[in-house]
Amino acid sequence: MMSDSPTVPSGGVNRRDFLRVSGASVAGGTLLDMLAARRAPAQIKGTTLRIIMWSHFVPAYDVWLDDWSQQWGKANGVNVRLDHIPQLELPARYAAEFAAGTGHDLIYFQGQILTAQYYKNLVDISDVADKIGKKFGGWIDSAPQLAQVQGVWYAIPDFYISIPMLWRKDLFNSVGMSDPKTWDDFRKAARLLKPKGHPTGMQFSHCNDANHNWRALMYCFGVKETDPSGQQIAIDSKEMREALQFAKAMYDEGMTAEVYSWDDASDNRYLASGVACWIHDAISAFRTTEDTNPDVFKNTYMLPEAAGPSGLRKNVADANVYAIWKFAKNAAAAKEYLLALNDQYTAGMTASRGYNMPFLKDHYKKPMPVLGADAKLSVLQDQLGITAFFGYPGPITPAAQEVQSTFVIPDVFTRVARGASIEDSMKWAVGEYQRIYAKHKA
Amino acid sequence: MTDLPVGGAAPDASLPATLAPRAGVRAMWRRPSARRYAFGYTLLAPAVLYVGLLVGLPFLFSLYLAMSDASVGEPIARFVGLENFKAALESPTFYVALRNSLVFTIGAGIMKSLLGTTLAFLLVQPFKGRKVVRALIVIPFTLPIAVSVLGWKWMFDSQFSVINWALSQLHLIGGYGSASWPVWLGQPTLALFSVMFVNVWRGFPFGAIVLLAGLTSIPPEIVDAARVDGASFLARFRKVIVPMIAPILFIGAAFDTVFTLSDLSIVYLLTNGGPDGSTEILPTLAYEVGIRAGALGRGAAISLFLFPLLLPAIIILLRTLRRRQY
Repeated sequence: MMSDSPTVPSGGVNRRDFLRVSGASVAGGTLLDMLAARRAPAQIKGTTLRIIMWSHFVPAYDVWLDDWSQQWGKANGVNVRLDHIPQLELPARYAAEFAAGTGHDLIYFQGQILTAQYYKNLVDISDVADKIGKKFGGWIDSAPQLAQVQGVWYAIPDFYISIPMLWRKDLFNSVGMSDPKTWDDFRKAARLLKPKGHPTGMQFSHCNDANHNWRALMYCFGVKETDPSGQQIAIDSKEMREALQFAKAMYDEGMTAEVYSWDDASDNRYLASGVACWIHDAISAFRTTEDTNPDVFKNTYMLPEAAGPSGLRKNVADANVYAIWKFAKNAAAAKEYLLALNDQYTAGMTASRGYNMPFLKDHYKKPMPVLGADAKLSVLQDQLGITAFFGYPGPITPAAQEVQSTFVIPDVFTRVARGASIEDSMKWAVGEYQRIYAKHKA
Repeated sequence: MTDLPVGGAAPDASLPATLAPRAGVRAMWRRPSARRYAFGYTLLAPAVLYVGLLVGLPFLFSLYLAMSDASVGEPIARFVGLENFKAALESPTFYVALRNSLVFTIGAGIMKSLLGTTLAFLLVQPFKGRKVVRALIVIPFTLPIAVSVLGWKWMFDSQFSVINWALSQLHLIGGYGSASWPVWLGQPTLALFSVMFVNVWRGFPFGAIVLLAGLTSIPPEIVDAARVDGASFLARFRKVIVPMIAPILFIGAAFDTVFTLSDLSIVYLLTNGGPDGSTEILPTLAYEVGIRAGALGRGAAISLFLFPLLLPAIIILLRTLRRRQY
């Protein structure tokens, strides 16, 4: 028969148990203290806050967030309901909620940042953004690109997912290379290592990583998708042609045809299987390798981004932002929740195992949680200043969103890699941009 | 009881003007044919309501969206006429998706017909464990599509494909990394073949079951008589079996065409339309433009291009079916 009370080992409490129990008490106490420090206004007491969000790639983060949200709810008398759904289903869900004029109070854009599409139906939360920004040294330069429309904050950036270069030191050393810094270095390594059974790979397919990775290469080569206002197309450039030419050479020399079929997780497996000499992926690949292939993990190192021909480095990250529907029944509680959540950066970053890169400048003070304590991950502390998002240097407008959703960039790189001429491929891609941007201007 | 003349009795001139129409209605209602009609329409009403609400209204709403500049974030949409259809026709990607949709539907349809027919003839034969086999055969059709397609995604994986591993073990292809190692979802022709293959795998048991239902309804003496008359298997199939089960076959074909042409899940989960649009079909393109990119009007217009493709096929099938009935 099971007892309700926890059993105490006959030999007394050992050191591990003591640390676990005392650590949990301290952590719990600290969390409650922090929650108590920021009391929400009385008018939200007795209300319900409905939140929808993705399922984080690091499940432990969801466990932490769910737990913290419940504790915040209890401390403030708010019944918090947090629904996690797969991130690919979020856009369809928002379209449905918008059409119905009802749904969750606090919504979450992951990867596809729909602020510019929905801003007319989102609450102006500039007051919340200003408070958080002032408290933590200001927002990083690329944050407004995701959260502002015409200078007004309609979203609060939560965190972004860095997509660095993950490379195998042992393999690089075997061909006389160490400490790679540029795209040229990585291309050379792939050229030398492919014949030895260790090619590289970046997705030439219709997946999110393909949208990120080829844009990172483009931006490092100096390509601009639009002007800073996001209105004028700027992709038809010498730099874009150079980026395509480089990608074609890198594919021919250092990749196999597998990359045409890859999804977002294929490169993770490629690294973890010990085949890849390097990949360009989020640190989930690093973590997967840590868990599944310790030998490979031991030799896997990281670089926030490789530099282009002129030394430019731009890392195209996956962003996550919160927003509040205008038809939300509990916007007041949603705002309080966001203010309180932003005080929890260290706990969130720790729960995400270093995945959640901050949007606030103060959080880059070294040592950063998790990253600062790990020799390999510590390079990500220098990510500030190189982070860019889709549509760079413009904001993520609905037109930029459509270019992303219809995979124009992965497709133009695929065409060139498959042997189509750069000029023909450019003509097609520029045509797609013009057609899409013209539709959104009309 | 005497039937009133058609059109009902003339209003009584002595009645007040307001009562005259009511008297006419009452008189009409006394006719048994009118009551029969009313009863019939009452019974039909739930079905009409059901079709109207669940099919008619969404269709009209799609038409409205396709002729407007509706987007996911705009509460008010403007009428733009045929602009969205024009925009679709101006896009090279649309033609690729249209071509792929036709190849996907026709190719998969032919393969499903051949395999479904063969399977149905095998299953109609008496053999030990036939009931178990009949039950097992419908598994692909009954499995949740996301689960089965993800299974296939693994089997088509570029690195860990069990199909490639088996072929390699049989020395039909080289090892992983060799030039002969197929990348099922990465080579344009193979990718389109792969998505069609999964559709066929999932759909042909349905065809077989439909055909099997038809085959079991044919009195065996008719087929035996044809056999005695010297009709070969093909002649019996073409001249006796097909004509007798034609209504079932037509309905099955109509369903299958509609489901295949509008099938989003398989392509979405396996390739998402890639690489370079080689598996892009109209439903995936409509989803990308309409939902992911938020241009509801243009997305609806793309999806409505399925309608003129399906309509003639369904009309031909239903007309043929009606002709055979009368």
